[in-house]
Amino acid sequence: MSLALLARRNIRRNTVRTALTMVALAIAVVAFVAIRTVLTAWSVAADFAAKDRLATRHKMSFVISMPKHYADTVREVPGIQAATWMNWFGARDPRRPDSFFATIAVDTRTFLDVYDEVMLPEDQKTAWLETRNGAIVGEVLAKELGVQPGDRVTLQGTIFPGSWEFAVSGIYVPTRQTIDRMSLFFHWDYLNDSIEEARRDQIGWIVSRVDDPTAGTRISQEVDRIFDEREVPTLTQSERDLNLSFMGMVSGILKALDIVSIVIMLIMLMILGNTIAMGVRERTRENGVLRALGFSPGQIVVPIMGEAAAVGILSGLIGLVLAYPIVELGMGRWLEENMGAYFPYFRIDPVTAVTAVLLCGLLGVLASIPPAWGAARMKVTDALRQVG
Amino acid sequence: MIPVAYNIRSLKVRKRNTIAAAAGLAMVVFVFSAVLMLAEGIERTLGRSGEDGVAILLRKGADAELSSGIDAAHLGIVAGAGEIATGSGGIPQALGEVVVVLAQPIARMPDQFANVTVRGVPDNVLPFRSSVKIIEGRAATPGTDEAIIGKAIRGRFAGMDLGQSFELRKNRPVKVVGIFDAQGSAYDSEVWADIDAVRSAFGRLGGLSSIRVRLQSPGRFDAFRARIETDRQLSMEVMRERSYYNKQSEGLALFITAMGMMIAVLFSTGAMIGAMITMYASIAHRKREIGTLLALGFSRISVLVSFLLESVLLALVGGGIGAVLALSMRWVSFSTLNMRTWSEITVSFEPTAGIVIGSLVFAGVMGIIGGLLPAIRASRMSPVTAMRD
Repeated sequence: MSLALLARRNIRRNTVRTALTMVALAIAVVAFVAIRTVLTAWSVAADFAAKDRLATRHKMSFVISMPKHYADTVREVPGIQAATWMNWFGARDPRRPDSFFATIAVDTRTFLDVYDEVMLPEDQKTAWLETRNGAIVGEVLAKELGVQPGDRVTLQGTIFPGSWEFAVSGIYVPTRQTIDRMSLFFHWDYLNDSIEEARRDQIGWIVSRVDDPTAGTRISQEVDRIFDEREVPTLTQSERDLNLSFMGMVSGILKALDIVSIVIMLIMLMILGNTIAMGVRERTRENGVLRALGFSPGQIVVPIMGEAAAVGILSGLIGLVLAYPIVELGMGRWLEENMGAYFPYFRIDPVTAVTAVLLCGLLGVLASIPPAWGAARMKVTDALRQVG
Repeated sequence: MIPVAYNIRSLKVRKRNTIAAAAGLAMVVFVFSAVLMLAEGIERTLGRSGEDGVAILLRKGADAELSSGIDAAHLGIVAGAGEIATGSGGIPQALGEVVVVLAQPIARMPDQFANVTVRGVPDNVLPFRSSVKIIEGRAATPGTDEAIIGKAIRGRFAGMDLGQSFELRKNRPVKVVGIFDAQGSAYDSEVWADIDAVRSAFGRLGGLSSIRVRLQSPGRFDAFRARIETDRQLSMEVMRERSYYNKQSEGLALFITAMGMMIAVLFSTGAMIGAMITMYASIAHRKREIGTLLALGFSRISVLVSFLLESVLLALVGGGIGAVLALSMRWVSFSTLNMRTWSEITVSFEPTAGIVIGSLVFAGVMGIIGGLLPAIRASRMSPVTAMRD
């Protein structure tokens, strides 16, 4: 009769309790994975930011536009490979006014040089460049709007009033997660020609690519120095910093979710600890017998901890199996439909999956420390005297 | 009926299990009610910003003050409408403002920027918004580079505290001369500067973002709206101020509530199972007692009720602790992004009696569900075999 066999028997000793514990832990793992996935999905934009892209906007605010010729100035700064400009257009789908997606007017001549991850079939690209009111739509947004290449879509302007009709020239699929699949890009010229004289030739921000990503900071400072001497000062940041500053604004929510995921772990610890403690208490007598037979306290403790870790890891695995459909199909779909612009890529990160399982094992060991400690310290005579 | 004292004693005897199970339940209830309080806080902050009897006018199609632009010359036309209340000296109560967003470094992390809403306000702003009070310093002198800021952003951004200054444009510092309290509304997270200073810094000369008017009575709204919206020259839309702010809070409150509900459902399942484990164990230990109770002639139903009651008691203890913990979140405020304005808004957790009661009911329900199976098992024992144990 080995200790390993004893441990195996012990797990099966109270099947209902072990099963319940595992279910509870598995559910907690689902919650943990879900929250972590929200956090990683939110930071995906920052993690996947292009290392070689800089964005230049007005120093005081993104709502102040800049003269169009600023883009030419940026292009001439040494180390800058290509530059393009855009304007936030902010349109809504009149059929679903509450759904948010990005509509951006871009300089089509240079847009694809800077955003080389925006992939379109060659014929769609040509069509887009040739159609005055042509637009390309991300694959997720295309599904939401229910459009195919060749369709027309009418959107309601918010900043630029009126109804705007766009011809859907193509549907883009990003090759990297640096850009979302929920945007609509159309010709800046179309916007510029359609608005009153006073608002013309103004651009929202400039995006440029640098030859050498390590020189990004130096080049940013150089760009800002040049404009600082003119009437409109700018702020140039790497795409990563830009995304991080957006993240900073939602940091309250992120912090709260972080805390909640820690609370989940604590709840798991409670449930598991309670179960292990009950099991150990029930076996007080047996442990006394084992000790009387000459087993050392250490030999008593190891199976207790092993049992807890095994239950933890097993529950973690069950939780993961459950989490994939719940998180990716259920929550992911809901978020993509309702908040696709904020969660462009809602997938469970492998790191999250591994962390969850390892944490479960670790929690198991932690939870078993107090009861194991108690079992090891107990006097053999007391243990044998104990009743249930 | 088996006396409740028996259950209370039983819970006391198994202190450790009771505490562990109650702690699990407490955490669930804590998260559950904190989330509800936060959603409530967001809705209240934005809801408080709206006043009955005040209408807001934006350019047609604009969904927020930030994306709206109105010709300043139209303020006079709007103010001439007959439904508008008049203030002192017979002047119609109309307020034209410019709303912009300023990127400001965060005080604690100077390399990080966050957006703060800056409102360019005319002279009559404080009389119009009578609920806003200056709590420190003084009101800004109209027509100068002076500003007052809401109490929620005080010290959060670089240069935004009494006596400090920040820049609206290069080399034109704006001095903070006062702090105002807007009773927990969205204005508490805003900077109010002179309308002309904001206009010239943001290239909005001759423009307004929004017009607010106070109507003679809330009932005059429809008439006023019809008058303005049928005027083709104006091309504006009219909303009740309250519904405008409610719309603003929708997205964020929905997200937080949805997240919270999902967490609560998953969490509560875990906690219920925790309670179930505790109850099963406690019943297994008390086989003899149960057998004795049945042999003494207590009915199976009263055994079932008694054990169910014990589980509910356990849950209520946990729920009570959780609710009290959540109440202490009252003093925590929370900066988040208002997705409609792309700027920060500070909200706090708002406890309401409904949320507290709801949390306790939620705990009780968890106790009933968690305790049901073990209680059924207890009530179906045979007294003979149970006593033999």
